[in-house]
Amino acid sequence: MARALVVRLIILSVALFLGAQAIVPSRAETSVTIGLGLGSQGAESYNPILATRIADPIYLVYDTLVVVDKDFNYHPHLAKSWETSADGLTWTFKLRDDVKFHDGTKFDANVIKWWVPKFAGGENAYMVEAIDSVEVVDDYSFKFHMKHPDPNLLFNLSFGYMGIPSPTAYEKLGDKYGITGAVGTGPYMLKEFVPGQQVTLTKNPDFNWPDPLTKHKGPASIDQLVFRDIPDISTTFLELQTGGIDVWTATAVDFLSRLKAQPNITLIDKASTGMLYLPINVTKKPFDDIRVREAVARAINQKEIRETIFFGTGREADTFLGAALTESKVDPRYLIKYDPERAKKLLDEAGWMMGPGEVRVKDGQELRPTLWVQSDTTLRRVAEMIQAELAAVGIKAELSTFDGTALRDMFKTGKHELAVREYGWSNADVLDYFFSGKRLGFPNISMWNDSKAEALNAKAMTGAKSWDERVKSFTEYHEYILSQFVFAPIHEPAEIIAYNNSKVRLPAAIPAPMLGASTFLDMELVQ
Amino acid sequence: MMMALARRLAVFIPSFLLLTVIIFLVIHIVPGDPIDQLVKAGADAATRDRLMAKYGLDQPLLVQYWTWLGAMLTGDLGESIIQKRPVADLILQSMPYTLTLGILSLALSTVIGVFLGILSGALPNSIFDRVVNAIVIVGASVPTFWLGLFLIMLFSVELRLVPVSGTGGALSLVLPTATLTLSGLTLVTQVMRQSVIATTRSDFVTLLHGRGFSRFYIQSRHIVWHGLIPIITIVGLQIGWIVGGAVTVEVVFGRPGIGTLLIKAINQRDFPLIQGALLMLAGAVILGNLLADLLQAGIDPRIRLGAA
Repeated sequence: MARALVVRLIILSVALFLGAQAIVPSRAETSVTIGLGLGSQGAESYNPILATRIADPIYLVYDTLVVVDKDFNYHPHLAKSWETSADGLTWTFKLRDDVKFHDGTKFDANVIKWWVPKFAGGENAYMVEAIDSVEVVDDYSFKFHMKHPDPNLLFNLSFGYMGIPSPTAYEKLGDKYGITGAVGTGPYMLKEFVPGQQVTLTKNPDFNWPDPLTKHKGPASIDQLVFRDIPDISTTFLELQTGGIDVWTATAVDFLSRLKAQPNITLIDKASTGMLYLPINVTKKPFDDIRVREAVARAINQKEIRETIFFGTGREADTFLGAALTESKVDPRYLIKYDPERAKKLLDEAGWMMGPGEVRVKDGQELRPTLWVQSDTTLRRVAEMIQAELAAVGIKAELSTFDGTALRDMFKTGKHELAVREYGWSNADVLDYFFSGKRLGFPNISMWNDSKAEALNAKAMTGAKSWDERVKSFTEYHEYILSQFVFAPIHEPAEIIAYNNSKVRLPAAIPAPMLGASTFLDMELVQ
Repeated sequence: MMMALARRLAVFIPSFLLLTVIIFLVIHIVPGDPIDQLVKAGADAATRDRLMAKYGLDQPLLVQYWTWLGAMLTGDLGESIIQKRPVADLILQSMPYTLTLGILSLALSTVIGVFLGILSGALPNSIFDRVVNAIVIVGASVPTFWLGLFLIMLFSVELRLVPVSGTGGALSLVLPTATLTLSGLTLVTQVMRQSVIATTRSDFVTLLHGRGFSRFYIQSRHIVWHGLIPIITIVGLQIGWIVGGAVTVEVVFGRPGIGTLLIKAINQRDFPLIQGALLMLAGAVILGNLLADLLQAGIDPRIRLGAA
């Protein structure tokens, strides 16, 4: 009898429990789908140590020791604080003590000791090249002993390639790490990664260590984020129209006017990290004459290009570097600005007189340089406009379009004269990449090899012991490059995010140069 | 039959080898290399040389070809330089998507094409014939990427019936399949129509009419079966058309597959991956033609007995 009662009670309580489950609605999973811009598609792996391409979501899976804001100031993240010795040869970092990986393992100084040597031999090895050894001081502090001073260390440490993976998961998954699984300490965990297709992230319920750029505290409020690679921009645009995606991280210029007209779409600017410019091959006549180079540079009307091609977005460029970089703040007399009268005067001085057919002539030769551009709608349009602007001062550029990868190889033959190019990078060392005498042809399309420039380059690249000293040297190098007119600045394009404001709300200003935790943790669902 | 098989196979092997040479040469003659994709702005100049050597790109072309061919014969397609994974894995992963789309479109365009062709051929120059002709010509002359975007505008944006892109469920297959089917319809319809018209005029049909068989009986029992023979060859050719179309359709609809894989690999000059993906696509075309040849030999005694 008593047993029967117990059985009945159990059945009753189970029934009640199940009933309650059915009555109390479980909170629906919230999910937001994000279409990645063309530039951040094609990540092949979420293994930051070996990956050659990374996409925005890597900043959600992993945390970095330091974070950088849009003005390129560095802030603590997994590292609470750091200091560097006067000779720049020792860096001491103190770590947060409350951080653990998605697999539950502890994050401490021993992780760093394991992590840094893992870069050896891979494509990203140069990032830690200056670090000679890692010394664990105690559980939550460590020292980098350097081979030589590297003021750029903080930049590298803030970069997605230096997101810190869980040693346990990394060793366990081996070759498959980054594809079948990836384990970091970030606010979202990798649920599924289909290379070239999409990556699905779910929130890390233990996350409680946001970087100082993020307003939202504690675990993420949105349960799931899906990042999609959509290779065709028209398709991406239509996905945003139909609610297939809620956010588009980098809209194409072609769709700006139509997106602006739609009330349910909000556009926000992200700090730009790119630049359009016109390299001038200084080894080709008549561009060996600095006056002709300056004339080309002064003939380019940045304002007209910004207004007609970029619908008034972005910034008129007057140096080689984005406005957010301190090294772009050069002495105003080095700024390269539109001045067609000066361009005409310089060409006259150089002996290129206006001839019949509105083309300048010297020694029976007409001024008809080639202007090369890759097959990209926006770049092509910019090149066409520049062609017209050059024609206005008597330079008849002949425009040719090529496949982007083929074009790089053609630069290596050194036969080019003028070109329209675009780069995306957020560090002044891009000056070394594009103007160092060690890389003539490509990436140094200007083919510029000048002893004073090489000396300034060496001073900036390896001579500095501190960040401030590095900034000073790079500014000096930048000013010298500008003074020689080896390129002409065109436009600093805005990176514009579009989102469906009936579904989500993004922060009005993106605080970091990349879209990471500070953007997606502060994203809110509407309603 | 065995002779026919042996003869076709004897052609298949050298054409496959020729194919590998062409694929290899085309990729390496076009300017550009994958290392530019790997080297980032902060990396030094020596990194480039180190990577060139690491992937064997500093070797003479002939040596590179020989290494690739040798490995391929042992079933190893190499490793993607950019994606750092075996090419065979990447292809196997994409294959099901392309196969689903390809086979579905091939089957649909053949069945619909044959059906429309028979009706058009039976009623030449009727209104029906003209409408079919118009649809079929538009399907063939409009580029697939445009047709794809047009269908998205109509069915996803305006009518909201199917998703714009991606692989979410069977519904997402509708538009890509429709695009490929429409563009693949022309050849089958036109050939079937001509074939039906030609057969209708042949002596044996006149004879059948003379013997008093009904028009429907002659059409369905004799003309259609006779008219189907060239369709088998066409389906072989059709595989090439569908495979080529799948490349653009996959990109427009953001579907994974050999096409998307190939386009990305070409843009990044990921040599081993381009080679592998092209080989798969070209192999499918050769294999399709081989199958069609054999099928035709099986059906048509004139070909089987070596008259061809």
